[in-house]
Amino acid sequence: MNGLEIRRPATRTLLWALLVTVVVLYAFPFLYLLLTSFKPPLETLAVPPTVLPSRWTTANYAAVWASHGVPASFINSISTATISTLLSLVLAVPAAYAITRFRTRAGRFFVMLALVTRMVPPVAVGIPLSSTISSLHLLDTPTGLAIAHTTISLPLSIWLMSSFFEAVPDELDEAAKVDGCSRLGALWRVVIPVVSGGMAVTAIFAFLASWNEFLFALLLTSVRAQTTPLAIANFQTQFGLDWGSMTALAALYSIPVILLTLLLQRHIVAGLTLGAVKG
Amino acid sequence: MRLTDRRFAALLMVPAALFLAAFVAWPIVRLVMNSFYDISPIAGGPRTFVGLGNYTTALASSGFRSSAVRTLAYTVLVVSAEFVLGLATALLFSAIGRRSAVFRTIFMYPLMIAPVVAGLLWRFLLIDNSGIVNTLLARVGILHSASDIGWLSNSRIVLFSVAIPDIWLTTAFMALVLFAGLQNIPGDVIEAARLDGAKGWTLLRRIIVPLLRPVIAVTLIVRGIDAAKAFDIILIQTGGGPENASQTLSLLIYRTMVRFGEPGLASAMATMYLLVMLAVAVAAVVTIWRPGADA
Repeated sequence: MNGLEIRRPATRTLLWALLVTVVVLYAFPFLYLLLTSFKPPLETLAVPPTVLPSRWTTANYAAVWASHGVPASFINSISTATISTLLSLVLAVPAAYAITRFRTRAGRFFVMLALVTRMVPPVAVGIPLSSTISSLHLLDTPTGLAIAHTTISLPLSIWLMSSFFEAVPDELDEAAKVDGCSRLGALWRVVIPVVSGGMAVTAIFAFLASWNEFLFALLLTSVRAQTTPLAIANFQTQFGLDWGSMTALAALYSIPVILLTLLLQRHIVAGLTLGAVKG
Repeated sequence: MRLTDRRFAALLMVPAALFLAAFVAWPIVRLVMNSFYDISPIAGGPRTFVGLGNYTTALASSGFRSSAVRTLAYTVLVVSAEFVLGLATALLFSAIGRRSAVFRTIFMYPLMIAPVVAGLLWRFLLIDNSGIVNTLLARVGILHSASDIGWLSNSRIVLFSVAIPDIWLTTAFMALVLFAGLQNIPGDVIEAARLDGAKGWTLLRRIIVPLLRPVIAVTLIVRGIDAAKAFDIILIQTGGGPENASQTLSLLIYRTMVRFGEPGLASAMATMYLLVMLAVAVAAVVTIWRPGADA
């Protein structure tokens, strides 16, 4: 820890109080969503609203899981995100390796281009992209949507993987080649095992980008391949919002990734701050 | 035959390059081409070349101009609020030191929540006279009655209200990245400044912020670009209303395309939006990141 730490006991007590307040306020919205999801369905519409359920029940969860298309949307979300993550890694790993190891002009140009891609508003490419996907006969399929999601995660993956490859000394590849590995063999058998941690981080970010995406899912799927974010939005009907089901489904959808985050938090912070802090 | 290193490197980049060419560059080309046509919304319908007609229509429409202004206002609002809150939180974490770790973990959970969930959640929290936020504000006496503020129904404040979930969702990103940046400031620099009598505000303005400048620049750019693209988080809260008061460019383009069935006009709007975003992005990348140029 550096010189920013404050040691005077009185000030520290105050700072702790402030920190606890900030974190509680910050956590409250999602906590409230969880509490609401366990209320009896009618109580979610109570005016004025209550914080704690008068009676804890899983009725909303049962109802939402039984509603049409919801379990299928989970399967679609999982398959879309998995395909997109694999595709991102397969494309990004060799590209990032080439960019960091050979430092050609084409490589520098390519990394710039990939970064610029990140700035393209999805709404601008959404419709023409959907006709491209449609001409491949992949409209309303997890694969078609995964391709669209990969346009978002690939630039990020190339950027992240480049940073991880840079941390591996060139001598490692050289030693592998001296021992008789081809260049591809050195990458596959020596360098990739070393960066597997970085690949895991990249995979998490690619997975999340797809898991949480909405606009492409809206444009590229209709019924069969609908993902859960769309299913959540569908609880908004002309009669108002079915908050009980909505909060239960949102909780079901968010909790796996929140748990994943807590489990892998060290790696995720590393991924978030790469690039930015190094820059 | 042995490939040169340069060829080998190029071969490794080809799959990713082809992918981006087919699914990003080509759609952009089609978008730009579409922007010069008047297109029937029915698939396979007639297309008439209208030159720059769609551009003049878009620029002449007050809807397009006000959406552009709103997008800018939304971006500035979201990014500056996040930056101030994020930096304050990062400083708080630093002041407490190592033992803030558990709280940093709790703090990061919104990062993983889908924007559409965040939007719906806040819509639920803010719903006019039955939302928990107004109820609590009324209970502690800040509001006279719970229906005093119509967060999402008052067209004068709705742009602020729809920004709240976005700010909530990503203040954690700012805080964590800035915190990591703060940890990289050498302790003796801070000590030296303190010995010279710098404290509080002066220490922050004269020492900390200048040292963090590169980190700050990158986070502001990354978040600025993302905020300018915001779509689902607003759509789900208000659908752009009331009276289009929360309709940013993404929403306007989407509705022009899908609802009003004017793909040509929407393409012209999207092309202009894209050009501005790319210009900002390229300028930022060239001046600040310079990826691969460092040694």
